[in-house]
Amino acid sequence: MSILELQGVSKKFGDFPAVNEFSLSVDQGELRCLLGPNGAGKSTCMDLITGRQKTSGGKVFFKGEDITDNSEHKIVRSGIGRKFQVPAVFPHLSVEQNLEVAFAKGRGPFAAMGVFRRTLGHSNRFDEIIEMIGLSRRLEDLAGLLSHGETQWLEIGMVLMQDPDLLLMDEPTAGMTEQETLKTSEIFNRLKGSHTLIVVEHDMSFVRQIADVVTVMHMGGFLAQGTITEIEANPEVRDVYLGEEGDH
Amino acid sequence: MQNNLYHNRTAQWLAYLVLFAILILVPFIWDDAFLLNQFARYCVLALLAVSVSLIWGFGGILSLGQGIAFGLAAYGMGMTMQMQFQDPVSNPMPSFMLTNELETLPLLWEPFWNTGIGLVLTLAVPTLFFVLFGWMMFQARVAGVFVAIMTLAMLAAWYSMAYDMQPFTAGFNGISPPLPLQVFGTMIDPYSATAYWICVAFLAGLTLAAKALMQSQFGTIIQAIRDDAERARFLGYHVAYYQTVLFSISGLLAASAGLCWVMIVQYVSPTLLELSLSISAVIWAAVGGRLSLLGAILGAFLINGMQSYLGDELQQVWMLVLGVIFIAVVLLLPKGLVGLVETILGSLAARGRPAAEDDAATERERV
Repeated sequence: MSILELQGVSKKFGDFPAVNEFSLSVDQGELRCLLGPNGAGKSTCMDLITGRQKTSGGKVFFKGEDITDNSEHKIVRSGIGRKFQVPAVFPHLSVEQNLEVAFAKGRGPFAAMGVFRRTLGHSNRFDEIIEMIGLSRRLEDLAGLLSHGETQWLEIGMVLMQDPDLLLMDEPTAGMTEQETLKTSEIFNRLKGSHTLIVVEHDMSFVRQIADVVTVMHMGGFLAQGTITEIEANPEVRDVYLGEEGDH
Repeated sequence: MQNNLYHNRTAQWLAYLVLFAILILVPFIWDDAFLLNQFARYCVLALLAVSVSLIWGFGGILSLGQGIAFGLAAYGMGMTMQMQFQDPVSNPMPSFMLTNELETLPLLWEPFWNTGIGLVLTLAVPTLFFVLFGWMMFQARVAGVFVAIMTLAMLAAWYSMAYDMQPFTAGFNGISPPLPLQVFGTMIDPYSATAYWICVAFLAGLTLAAKALMQSQFGTIIQAIRDDAERARFLGYHVAYYQTVLFSISGLLAASAGLCWVMIVQYVSPTLLELSLSISAVIWAAVGGRLSLLGAILGAFLINGMQSYLGDELQQVWMLVLGVIFIAVVLLLPKGLVGLVETILGSLAARGRPAAEDDAATERERV
């Protein structure tokens, strides 16, 4: 059963169509990779799903409901978590506080005023996630002091603390070393099955390690879809995307 | 980091309690009416600085309009005290209205016949204004320097209104209630220890409440929003709602300060709505340390004390002196004076740690 459905979604910036009548359907428990050259419209697509940008046309359905015109915090509360392309954490809060803010899940201000004790200690999910992202020794440190890779993991951990039904990961391995990438792919493979994920990625070796189904975008539209082997063999895809990659 | 006493919550609460205990004891040490009144003024201005610390330091929203709440509440208090002096039958209107050729008491003034209603309005009107004004700004996602500009413009608008609506506000001359505030039949002499203690009570009560609020989950989330509003939004937070609540709370604090101010100076004029007061409050908080409510209080005491006791020559160029202090703090101590304390305690903790480890090492060797 599909959990997320984009129906002919478009976004124009002035006359430039960043996303053009793009459709996508993602099943419950699937890990979908969204691939495409720079400017293909992948991040804009994430923005349209999460309401950060308003669509110029088309509809977004999540769990069968039309969420196209909902505001960001409502979309998040309906069960979509998002990791940004540039890692975004709260630099002046500790790692633990970062996770706590994510855990409190968009609670209202007056409800939050009554909470003084750390709520995280009681949560099994916390132990599991902190072990998964490997930051258990850095809970007290300010998030601003973490290395780039650790910041990426912290943000992944924050999105997991929300316990969303659908996770959108925008270039989770950007700027990571090979070893860090490997560890990230382990995290993702553990999430597969229990979570539904859409991963926007450039790094082909990472995609090979994690992907079930790959969708390729080009010029704001749909180009191809299939397993990683099919995609790599697809001449059209090779032409617009993988050819460039091969030059490295 | 954990070992720095500055970050120890118990130590923080102790520091607050010590400060307020000292403030409470002042009348027993100096029984001087002039001095008590002056200290009461410092306490009130410190409360205004706390409101700045809350919205700017914790919320990351630079409001140059804290004077709006302070000034509006001051007018509310001025009107309440003025109407206590008026008599419904023999003398129903303040004299400045008569010179402005008003024939009846304006509707705006009617509720202030009742002291209780007057006091409630004094706090409620500015707070509600901050709710509406804040919601207007934050749901439109106005941020950064644009909040500063909008609050500044709003302050200027209120200043002109207070200045121009002479029949209602006495314009430039301001309102000077002939008698001090009376509650339950007792007159509160502005130069008495009672008036001073009321100001200390407002400062201590509201600061401790704000401190508790900042240590609750609300405070953590507010600081998260300060660090990255977009990230918080995509964790499901209604950012504008949070910002409006914080802005309104800071408005309530500034309004309480305005109320106390008129109680102890018995005078309100448009100067309270001037830019210089709101900017000064920002500087007090910055000098003491905007990330700490206690820092804001100390900054307000320090700068206002300096202003009172520096020589006459410096008084004439006071704004210049204040500007130099501000620039020096921004360049040298971005976290203010309490930032200096944080650094010192941090280096003490760092020095203590290796020593302790060495001890442990020698212990082990001995065994």
